[in-house]
Parts: sequence; structure tokens; C-alpha cells
Amino acid sequence: MNQAIFSLMPDKLARLLQVNNKHMSQARGVNNLSEAKLNKEYEIKNVISDNKEMANFLSTLGCFKGESVTVISILSDTYVISIKDARYSIDLDLAKIVILI
Amino acid sequence: MKIALAGNPNSGKTTLFNAITGKIERVGNWAGVTISKKEGLIKATINHSNSDIIAVDLPGAYSMSPFTSEETITRNFVKNEKPDVILNIVDATNLNRSLFFTTQLLELGIPVVVALNKSDLTKKRKTEIDITLLSETLGCPVVETTSIKSNNKGLDDVIAKAIEIKGQPQTAPFNNQDVNLRDADSVESSDTERFEFVKNLVRKSENRKTKSSVQTNQDTADRILAHKWFGLPIFAVVMWCVFSISQTHLGPILADILVGWIDDLYAFVESLLGDDVSPLLSALLLDGIIGGVGAVIGFLPLIMVLFFLLALLEDSGYMARVAVIMDRFFKKVGLSGKSIIPMVIGTGCAIPGIMATRTIQNERQRRTTAMLTPFMPCGAKLPVIALFAGVFFNDAAWVGTTMYFAGIALIIFGALMVVRITGERHSRSFFILELPEYRFPSIQRAAVSTLSRAKAFIIKAGTIILLCNAAVQIMQTFNWQFQVVAEGAEHTSILAGLASPFAFVLIPLGFGAWQLAAAAITGFIAKENVVGTLAVVYGITNFIDTEELALVSGGADVASVMGLTSVAAFAYLIFNLFTPPCFAAIGAMNAELEDKKWLLGGVAFQFGIGYVAAFTTYQVGSYITTGVLGQGFIYGLIASLILFGILMYLVNKGVKKEEQKLDLCSS
Repeated sequence: MNQAIFSLMPDKLARLLQVNNKHMSQARGVNNLSEAKLNKEYEIKNVISDNKEMANFLSTLGCFKGESVTVISILSDTYVISIKDARYSIDLDLAKIVILI
Repeated sequence: MKIALAGNPNSGKTTLFNAITGKIERVGNWAGVTISKKEGLIKATINHSNSDIIAVDLPGAYSMSPFTSEETITRNFVKNEKPDVILNIVDATNLNRSLFFTTQLLELGIPVVVALNKSDLTKKRKTEIDITLLSETLGCPVVETTSIKSNNKGLDDVIAKAIEIKGQPQTAPFNNQDVNLRDADSVESSDTERFEFVKNLVRKSENRKTKSSVQTNQDTADRILAHKWFGLPIFAVVMWCVFSISQTHLGPILADILVGWIDDLYAFVESLLGDDVSPLLSALLLDGIIGGVGAVIGFLPLIMVLFFLLALLEDSGYMARVAVIMDRFFKKVGLSGKSIIPMVIGTGCAIPGIMATRTIQNERQRRTTAMLTPFMPCGAKLPVIALFAGVFFNDAAWVGTTMYFAGIALIIFGALMVVRITGERHSRSFFILELPEYRFPSIQRAAVSTLSRAKAFIIKAGTIILLCNAAVQIMQTFNWQFQVVAEGAEHTSILAGLASPFAFVLIPLGFGAWQLAAAAITGFIAKENVVGTLAVVYGITNFIDTEELALVSGGADVASVMGLTSVAAFAYLIFNLFTPPCFAAIGAMNAELEDKKWLLGGVAFQFGIGYVAAFTTYQVGSYITTGVLGQGFIYGLIASLILFGILMYLVNKGVKKEEQKLDLCSS
């Protein structure tokens, strides 16, 4: 049903709504959380954001330098990650600012 | 004595609050349901002291550092109101994160009791927690609780401990006073040290059998329910099932019984009044009050079934996944998946929904969500949906489902316009949402929340709706000279006089009768009034059972009494649902938008959407079903084009403004 809806849309709109999964195939050279392999524990190198408050909020959840993080799955356009015994859903923009070692 | 309940979002604070106070505050299995503090007296069965204890439920917070406004509420309350004891509710399944906040609470100098909540879950997972070690290291009592089970011994213990330590000094295990809260770097380095302390403590006191980053069947469920392609159709099917049960199957059966009672009451009062009472008074009492209010109350069973099912859904943890599915679509229009939380709450009542927008950090997103949340069909709109689904569409479940998804579609369209008008198309936003664990929803909790909503519904029907119906009855009985309107001359009544100018504007929408216009207008006081007023003006007391109608309204069924085609009826439904909400909800919008321009724009937008959507539905629908366009097509088209033109002008202006800004930045 969903597929059918998208096939009715103009190409541009359909492309907008498509998920960009390219990074999945480029497993080598993992730089940030959006490139991480599933079910592999990584250590956070840094959280870079011009939005200090967001970085600060992430750190109160336990997402900061030296902590470990695992990508559990990728749903729609969001990443399900495991930090400190909890599951969060974060979007691509947020995944990109979490730099891994 | 005053106890403050504090803890992380979705740690079960409100559930525990309800359990110890016997109150019925709204709970949900996801973060951010409580948005303002709530107070209640602790039940005598749990309070074994001689004096009253007030419990204050605070919104969840991850830390004391300022990030969202609900965390500010928590911080200010704890700092300013000086509770005697802080009851820190800790999610036992996530000590690593929760104890961070605990260590901050311990620094306030107020005695703290830690309630290790969700302890049933840790037992199930065979996680062992050394409570003695935790208590010794933190320097405060630690009690295991399970707030979702009533008669839990832990709840008594927690309150007993709180009474015991009242007035004692509190020492902090980890103290880091020299932090400048305004300096983000300083906060961050202190946070890191604090987490290090917590990590060491958890390492020593917790023995986990399974690592939390390992895939579980919960994650498998997520992959299906929040799937890129299947997620949305699954949500649609779930909503359809909810409507099918509440509108087509179980709801009408229950409603039939209730309506039977109302009819009996009508007949009983009628016989009681006899023939001696003035016909005016008896009409006011029978048709105006019993008929009008009864018509609204008749839908109560349908609404209760619906609320019950929605409460089960919320309790299961599924709604957080819906937020994940919707984030993809909302992001394209400048909102985030977080906007779905106010919208889901708005399905009960738009007012708490609008208030829940406070958890959205970005100002434009927050305002956009507050302005668009009323498009979700709220509880008061359900009788209207149920009436039209029942009378014109044979109780079909697709009517209600369509209205929900039409609401979501209009919200997405609205957001798309707003982000352009404000010229923030290229601004970025982040989305982060905790995914709570799925759990089997509690029948008892859903029943309690349904009953409390039903009570509110009945109170409203007995007050506002009753008054409005009486007023409508009086206004349609008399003409401007305060003479009783003769039969056949109803169009000379005060009500007709007031509503006719509006009815004229509604002709292109397919429902230009003054009765329908009057019902739509009273709907702004409360949406249930649409049903009540229709009942009064058409002299119908029973909308549920169309067979019985023949007796009441003289051989004609409701559909022909109203003189509407199915298409026009559908358009009328759309008009009532998607025009501005009731005045109370507009008041809530005013409070949250904090800007007159936004409020005015919001209400104008809602009017425009309601008008154009109903117009399009009626005209296109008429053309498809009968092959000819409906009445007043040209006038409606002109009005719609003008509205569209204004919208496009504003969008264009906003986009240009943004382009100029971007040019400035690049040059």
C-alpha cells in the first residue's frame, strides 16, 4: 500500500522520501555513528555540535567521550542506539555529530 | 509534610503517584507525559503517620542541568518550594543513567529516599542489585518498588522511610560545587566525572546476566513495527481496528442499551409532566435538555471503548514507535517525531495536547505543533464523527480512521506551509527519543483512565452542553419579538436569524441550512454541541438506533430530516473537525504560542483549511457521485482561491526572506 502511494508521487518527492542507505555499504573507515556497523560496540571519541545545549543533553544521557555505544538497528531514517542500558531513537543529523574512535 | 517525586522520564513517577494517592493522572509508557507538577494527598492505607502527607509529581528530568523547560520546572520546584523529602524514582533497569540524577538530587541537602522502581523487570531478567551497597554508598535509604502493581509492599515501605528520615540532613556522595551552570564546557566536564562515579557504583552493586546492548526480541519487534515501509500501514491497520471495535462492533451494542435508558427517561418525564404543563416548558425540558444532552451522552459508550483501546496502545509502548515512523515525514516539513506526542495526547483532548508541546525545544517547532495539534480529532469530536458515521455511513470504521489520517495529513500540510512562511526551511533540528520497553498493557489502568475520562465527559454534558442546548431551544422557540414561532415558520426564530448569514457562506460547502450553521457555531463552545444542537433543531432524540427514529421524528430517518447527501454530510463532518477547536483549546493555544500574530495566523489557518477542505470534498464528491458540481461552486471557488492566494503570498514572502538571509551569509 505504501509502495503504491510512493509510485504515484512525482519523482522528486519520491526521492525525498526515500531513505539514503549508501553509508551502509561503506563499512570501512567508520567516522561517526551514522557509519557504524550494527551490533558492534564503539567508543565515542567526541560529540561535535555547534549546539552546545544538545551536546550537553546527550552527555546527561551518557553519550560523551569515552563511553561505549552500539547501533541496534536502523528504522526508517532513524538509528536505534544503546547507551547506558537504554535504547534511543536518534536521527541521521544527530548520528553524524557523534564521532567514534 | 511534603514529598516531591522526581526521576528520569518514563521511570514510573506518575504511576507511583497514582498508586500512593489514589488519583488518576494521565500516564503513558513513554517519556514526557507529565508536563506540569501535580499534587495529591497520600492515601491513608499507605500513610501510617498521623499527619497528612502531600505528594507532588514532577515532570521527568534526566539531570538538573537546564535543557528543556520541564527540567527547569523540576529544578525550580526542588530549589524553591523546599519539600521535606525527595522521593527519587529510579528505573532499576537503567541504574547507569538514572543514578546520575540521583547524585544531583542528593546535593540539595534535602533527605532523599530512592525507590528502585520496575523491580519486577529486573527480577525477570535475573539482574541482581546489591541494595545495601547502593544505600550505603549513596547515603540514603533504597527501597525496591513495583508501582504498576497495586498493593505492592514497597510503596508502604517507601512512604514509611520518607516519614522516618524527614528533617535529617542529607550528605552527598559526590560533590562538585564549583560548576558554572552557564558554561557548557564546565558542566560537561563535571558531568563526565559524575558519570564516572555512577559507573563505578553500578559496577560494584549490579550483576547483569545479559548485556543491554545485545539484540532482544524487543528489537525485532521494533524492526517490524517501525519499519520504513510497513510501519505506516501497520499503524493504519491498528487505528482501523480501534475504530472498528469502538464504532462498528462493541461500541454501538453498548450505546443501544444506554440510549434505551435515555428513551425511557424521556418517556418517564413526559408522563410525569402530563398535559397540564405549558408546552413551552415541556419542550424545553424534553427536547432541549433531555433530548439534546441525551443525544451527546448516547455516544458515551463508543467514546469509552475508543479511549480504552487508545489507553492500551499507549501503555504498551507502541506510541513511541509511531513517533519514530512519523519523524521521517515530519522532518520533511520542519517538525520532528516529537511533535507526535502532543498530537496523540490531543486525541483525548486538545488542551493537554497543546500544553504537551512544551517538551519540544525548538521554538518554531513548538509553536507549529501547538497550532496544528487541534487538527487531531479529540474526544469531544468523537460524538460528531460517530453521529455521521452512524447516520450516513452505516457505522463504518473507515470514517473515523480517515478523519485521523486526514488530521495527520492536514498537520503535515500546515507544517509545510509554516516552515516556509517563517523562512526556516533550511534550519536543522535534532530528534532524539527514548524507546521504552514494550509491555503487556494493563487492563486495570486503561479502565481507570477510561472511567475518569467518562466522568469528565458526563460532567461537561451536564453543564456546558446542557446550558447550550437550553439556550438553543429557547432561541429557536422564539422570534425577535419574543413571540412563539409558529409551526412552519421556524426560519423566523432568533436562532435562524443569527445563523442564516453564516449558512449563506456555507452553501458552496453543501450545507447551507441555518440549522447546520447553528450547530457548527455552537461547536466552538464545545464540539459535542454539534450533536446536541442538531438533536434540538431537528427534534431528534435518538441518533444511535435509526429504527427507533421513525417513532420520534415522524416516519423520516435522520438522514432525510437533515436533507443532506452522503457527500455533503461528509463535507460537514470535515468542516466541524478541521475548523478551529473549541474556545478553551484556542485559549490553550494562546498560552503556549505566546504571540498574538501566531495565534491569529493559527486560527485563520484553521478556518481556511476547514472551509477549503469541506468545499473540495463536497464539490469533487458531488461531481464523482452525481456527475454535476454542487451548489455555489463558483463562489466557493473564488473564496478558496483567495485564501490560497493569501497563503501563497505569505509562503513566497517567507521563502524570499530566507533566500536573502542565506545570500547575506554566503557573501
